[in-house]
Amino acid sequence: MNLKLRIIPAALALGALSLATAAQGNTLKIGIPQPMTGPNTQYGDQIQAGALTAIDALNEKGGIKGMKIEPLLIDDGCEPKQSVPAANRVVNSGARFAVAHACSGTTVPAVNVYEQEGIVAITPGATSPLVTDTIKPHYFFRTIGRDDQQGPFAADYIAQQLKPKKVAILHDKQTYGSGVATQVQKSLQKDGVNVALFEGINVGDSDYSAVISKLKALGPDLIYFGGYHPELGLLLRQAREQGLKTQFMGPEGVANKDLLAIAGPAVDHLLVTLPADFTKRKGNEHILEDFKKYKRSPDGAFTITSYAAVQVLADSINAVGPDADKVADYMHSHTFKTAIGDVDYDAKGDLKHFEFAVFRWDANGNMTQIQP
Amino acid sequence: MSDLLPLLTQQLFNGLSLGAIYALIAIGYTMVYGIIGLINFAHGEIYMIGAYTGLVTLSAIGLGSGLPLPMMVLAMLVVAAAVTAVYGYAVEKIAYAPLRSSPRLVPLISAIGMSIFLQNWVATGQGARDMAVPALITGSIDFTLGTSNFTVTAPYSRIMIIIVTVVAMVGLWMFIKYSRTGQASRACAQDIHMANLLGINTDRIISFTFMIGAMLAAVGGVLIALAIGKLNPFIGFMAGIKAFTAAVLGGIGSIPGAMLGGILLGLAETFAAAFISSQYKDIVAFLLLVFILLFRPTGLLGKPEVEKV
Repeated sequence: MNLKLRIIPAALALGALSLATAAQGNTLKIGIPQPMTGPNTQYGDQIQAGALTAIDALNEKGGIKGMKIEPLLIDDGCEPKQSVPAANRVVNSGARFAVAHACSGTTVPAVNVYEQEGIVAITPGATSPLVTDTIKPHYFFRTIGRDDQQGPFAADYIAQQLKPKKVAILHDKQTYGSGVATQVQKSLQKDGVNVALFEGINVGDSDYSAVISKLKALGPDLIYFGGYHPELGLLLRQAREQGLKTQFMGPEGVANKDLLAIAGPAVDHLLVTLPADFTKRKGNEHILEDFKKYKRSPDGAFTITSYAAVQVLADSINAVGPDADKVADYMHSHTFKTAIGDVDYDAKGDLKHFEFAVFRWDANGNMTQIQP
Repeated sequence: MSDLLPLLTQQLFNGLSLGAIYALIAIGYTMVYGIIGLINFAHGEIYMIGAYTGLVTLSAIGLGSGLPLPMMVLAMLVVAAAVTAVYGYAVEKIAYAPLRSSPRLVPLISAIGMSIFLQNWVATGQGARDMAVPALITGSIDFTLGTSNFTVTAPYSRIMIIIVTVVAMVGLWMFIKYSRTGQASRACAQDIHMANLLGINTDRIISFTFMIGAMLAAVGGVLIALAIGKLNPFIGFMAGIKAFTAAVLGGIGSIPGAMLGGILLGLAETFAAAFISSQYKDIVAFLLLVFILLFRPTGLLGKPEVEKV
């Protein structure tokens, strides 16, 4: 009697499992962990816009190798704590490929998971050198530059174009923010610029008036902030309240529309380094049409880089099939023509070249490219 | 050196306005602890709900309406206070009242659970993203001191925080001292069982305490929302921790202690950020707490717990 009772659920479970594996055979799963909740959700929106548009366009043409692409949206909240859980969810879903993470703090721990499981993952947004420097992964790649390119790029602009007598650098003490701020500090010191203040502020604080007053007394010609837009928005707003009129500058983590909502007209004249505006790149016209067709916005620092990540994955899988090991090898040995230009990888998955540009904001949040 | 006096004045102002907010929230913690010996961990979330209610009220009134600014702010304050009073009452009845005879740890866990629930309640209803509050109160008082170039800026939004906090504190103190309900509250704080035996409706006093604490936190929430301009469902967490620290610093259970603790904590944080480094301001603030507790375990104005035989 007991045996019979146990056989039935076991049989049902086996049946369900075989159904599941059967279903898997027809789709190519791509995991997309990105911030869907929390203060940095905009970057998740950008990644979704870019990756899903590319996936929709590919699926309309029949998918890759006859398989429809199934995107799996997973929330990592731009939080280091949620990094490994999100990566594990990608693993458990059975996906062998991923367009993974926007925030460096969330990416660095996750890289270990993807590398161990042999999942080919491309980050369209994490710029910290630690992402690839720590374990020099074989399966992890980027479609964005590194902060040790972005930092010196910003510092060179500051030293050559702005020529300030005194610079203050603030950061949010996190992987990304302090990383890029340190890069800028090192490069500025090499260029002989006086960095009078290098200080960290707390993420999630509402009141920065103490540090603003300190800056007011210091009187720098430029304040560089390494971090994300929630903090810079408050800094700008409170600086304006206290009558601090110094020029601010920041990396791509601050440049999205929500900054305008928080800081209002205080964003006027803000300088930002961003990936070059790929929406204006020659040859991307059909991509912009795809965005229009699927009703998504192509704007944002990480949108086109996410589109390019899917392009790289698709091209590789078309060439060698959906085997993650073969794809990783293929990616290391080939050049891809993508929405962000030619994509060439070095041994640890970094791009060999990436264009950054300097943009200036006006009081309405519109950006103009001013360099190059 | 001539810059030092204006800088000190500016930082003093910054510290006071920060401390005022901590004080407003700390009162809620201290009053509830004084009466039922429970740390209401959901109190930070009540502050956050007050801020959101203010924003919702502002959106409902509309920026383009003809109402004068003081009326709009008053409306936000009144609606936020009313709504959070209801929340405060409900939280007490749902999460704490059924556990009144349980060991101390159980209502504490319940409070933490309530805190998480409220955070996600608001996140589900309003979205987990940051929300911007339009800058209603702009402008500031600027002045220079002596020969220095440094302009001390006192934004009106921050001045309002300090003034409203002082008024609320004085009002609360007078109410507790001179009204019947205030007297009953003090009786309950002294010995709740005895007060009950003497005919005071302790359930009502407890509810009243939660509601008053919630209303003050709501006032703090609305004022901060107007001053800072950014809201998300998780601001209550950090503010709650700081305010709880302030309450303990000043002596948990003592209302003047909550005010003193709040102001001290605000000043300590601000001066640490100004003269040491922003990186260490939380370290300094909590070190201060540890230091004070080492020498006065019940806080600055706290009364030592006397075990009555």
